[in-house]
Amino acid sequence: MNRAPSQEQCADCPALAGQECCTGSLIKLSNLKPGQKGTIAQVCGNPDFRLRMMEMGFTKGTEVTVVKYAPLSDPVELVIKGYHLTLRKDQASDILIHEPDQAAA
Amino acid sequence: MSKQIVVALAGNPNAGKTTLFNALTGARQHVGNWPGVTVEKKEGTVIHGDREIHVVDLPGTYSLTAYSLEEIIARNFIVESAPDVVVDVVDASNLERNLYLSVQLLEMGAPIVIALNMIDVAQGRHIHINDKSLSDLLGVPVIPTNGKKRIGIEELLDRAIERAETADVSGTQRTVSYGTEVEEELAKIEERLNSARTRLNGLSNRWLAVKLLEGDPEISKVVESTIGGDGVFDQVEQSRKHIEDIFADPPEIVLTDARYGFISGALKQAVHVDSSDRVHLSESIDKVLTDRMLGPAVLMLILYLVYMFTFQASEPLVKGCQVLFQWLGTLAGEVIPEGLLRSLVVSGIINGVGGVLGFTPLIAFMFLAIAILEDTGYMARIAFMLDRVLRGFGLHGSSMLALMVAGGIAGGCAVPGIMATRTMKEPKERLVTILVAPLMNCGAKLPVYALLIGAFFAHSQARFMILLTLISWAMVLIAGKVIRSTVLAGPSAPFVLELPPYRVPTLRGLLIHTWERTWMYIKKAGTILLAVSIVLWAMMTFPTLSPEKANRFEERKAKLTSAFLADPKVSVVFASENDIEEFEKFIKQIEEGERPTVGANNPTFIELAEALKKPSEARSESSKQPMDTDIGPVASAYAAFAAEKTATEGEKLSEQLKHTIGGRLGVALETVFRPIGFDWRTNVALVGGFAAKEVVVATLGTAYSLGEVKPREAESLGEKLRKEPGWNPLMAFTLIVFVMLYNPCIATLVVIKKESGSWRWTLFAMAYTTILAYCVALAVHSGGTFLRLGLS
Repeated sequence: MNRAPSQEQCADCPALAGQECCTGSLIKLSNLKPGQKGTIAQVCGNPDFRLRMMEMGFTKGTEVTVVKYAPLSDPVELVIKGYHLTLRKDQASDILIHEPDQAAA
Repeated sequence: MSKQIVVALAGNPNAGKTTLFNALTGARQHVGNWPGVTVEKKEGTVIHGDREIHVVDLPGTYSLTAYSLEEIIARNFIVESAPDVVVDVVDASNLERNLYLSVQLLEMGAPIVIALNMIDVAQGRHIHINDKSLSDLLGVPVIPTNGKKRIGIEELLDRAIERAETADVSGTQRTVSYGTEVEEELAKIEERLNSARTRLNGLSNRWLAVKLLEGDPEISKVVESTIGGDGVFDQVEQSRKHIEDIFADPPEIVLTDARYGFISGALKQAVHVDSSDRVHLSESIDKVLTDRMLGPAVLMLILYLVYMFTFQASEPLVKGCQVLFQWLGTLAGEVIPEGLLRSLVVSGIINGVGGVLGFTPLIAFMFLAIAILEDTGYMARIAFMLDRVLRGFGLHGSSMLALMVAGGIAGGCAVPGIMATRTMKEPKERLVTILVAPLMNCGAKLPVYALLIGAFFAHSQARFMILLTLISWAMVLIAGKVIRSTVLAGPSAPFVLELPPYRVPTLRGLLIHTWERTWMYIKKAGTILLAVSIVLWAMMTFPTLSPEKANRFEERKAKLTSAFLADPKVSVVFASENDIEEFEKFIKQIEEGERPTVGANNPTFIELAEALKKPSEARSESSKQPMDTDIGPVASAYAAFAAEKTATEGEKLSEQLKHTIGGRLGVALETVFRPIGFDWRTNVALVGGFAAKEVVVATLGTAYSLGEVKPREAESLGEKLRKEPGWNPLMAFTLIVFVMLYNPCIATLVVIKKESGSWRWTLFAMAYTTILAYCVALAVHSGGTFLRLGLS
């Protein structure tokens, strides 16, 4: 599993500068396998996207589960706050989560 | 009756708002547009006790930031129209995210009543909601409802009226407290607003302060234009910076986080969930419907079923409608004396409008199918499965809805389809979707397809429709890809879409949905099409032939008649022109199954009519039999005479049609369209189709009924075309493809102009579609000719 984000990505997400992400303890939501879950640490990306995701419930500490990937492996179906939502993988890679519960895999 | 109460219905998409609206207002509803924009506005009235309640359905939104046009509309209505009460429809089974909107509504200070909708679904999922406790926590009435079963409707109305009559709710309704740091900054902004002393339309300064701190562009503009902004914006600037320094996030993110914090606090007290790991039915269904292998297969199957349903279920009704319009045509032909007026009514109006309205049942069935896909939640799964494909071609998963409405499943309309792109926030993807949506198989093209497929490919209608759908999708994707990598190059934008649980739609909801869209279609056919039919009729009637030219044909007919009468064989039956006229009338009436009014007692007429029914060889044979009279030779002579007369008449009408404005235009276009095999009549029809695609059928109908010698003969246009020289399956298919792709209709062009905001893109849409149509038609025509496909 890819460790993420790199220092370079931290530069893309000013909110992350100097935070734990850069120590490598966070992974991208897009790296979870179907059935795995984790808790949200940070949403990166442009301000509009960040706000939209927050409004849709992607607040820090919220549990998110990957249900499945679409037939062509993209987009991804998630469950967050009890409802189902779909995002593209590259958007999901802007959402950083704490190490998932390995037992759930 | 006392004063009318205005109730605004707010809520998230998929929260059952429409079902609740239908349950509240029943049939007393009206659909229009929000002023200045093309977003649908539904209103209705309900009488409750001695009160008349006016219900306004706001667009479904997740939030009230200025993210999308829907959100701005919903927010502006609450701010500007100040409804007496806002009923916030909340999905009880998805409470946390739904309450986010409620919290924002509370913050606005509007009087709120919460409809805890779909409470049955929540109970089924073992979500136990203590509505009393929730009501105390939020300081607003909370009424459990079930829109489908009409549970809680009466109480909801009682509470809404109560709430509307409460003078001031600000003391009781709770709002989020954002914590010391944020509250301090909000207080500072509020103070500046207070000192400006300009009350903004009854808006609370607290709410304005929150919005300004969030950097809301709309509200900033309003404040700037009314207060002038002196001091206020300096403070906002300072406060934003201060909060960003403390929280390392912009204020809008901090505030959103705090709202969800408030919600989760409330939910801890009011909601109890048992066995949350239970797999819901909806998820089990998705195991199959969006499965990697099964999903796409099921998708294809469902699309196929939609066609079968649309075409086969509607068939008897479509036939019935066509019979009705034919009957109307015949009736008008009898009532109105021969001349221009009859021609206008029969050829122009009834044939033109009827040809299209006759397909109304088919369109209605298609709308019903689309409504089922939307209301069950399957439409979102289609977007989920196809986004990867669409994105590869420069489109977007949300383009799916627009493209589906525009005719992704044949039978939509590009106008609402293009309007549906308003939900897309990504400018480039949106513009591409607008530009390619007209290539879809909209309802107006269906009559053309139905006519030509019915006439030339009758045995494989459903398979043919699948083929046409695939072609139009291929064209949409190719055009999208080309446009996105040339004139609109750039990276793709985000895709965020809720996958709502599968639901059994209500029959009432489906019928209302279907009716609204079908009515739009009928209105379009009844107004634009009527005007266009009349203009086209005029184009194909004037200028008339010069008297000399017309006389030449009359002279030829007169010569034929005198030659016929001079034949000694026929003198037994026909002594004068009068006899011929009588016999023509007699035979026409017999053919139509009517009781003859003239010559009914004339035995020779009956005999002659009998003889004419036999094939010509049989006639000459029977004449050899001595017991027969001389009727055989008379019949042969008459048949030859009648055929020549008909040919002359046909020549005259064809000459006349070519002489008209439409005819001349069609002839002029022949040079351009000859390579794809279109003659001037088809060209005239295509010119008509510039106004609206269904006019292609109308014009073909007008063209061929004008050229028809016996207008009373009830023969459908399809059969006529099949008999026409030059028409073969290849020609029909080429025309279908051309009609599918060429120039969008006028209504669509108007919407493209409105939505893209530029004439440049509108002209671009006209040019690229027509060039594309020509190239594809050329490929089909020459390919088919080369391979000798469909030539007979």
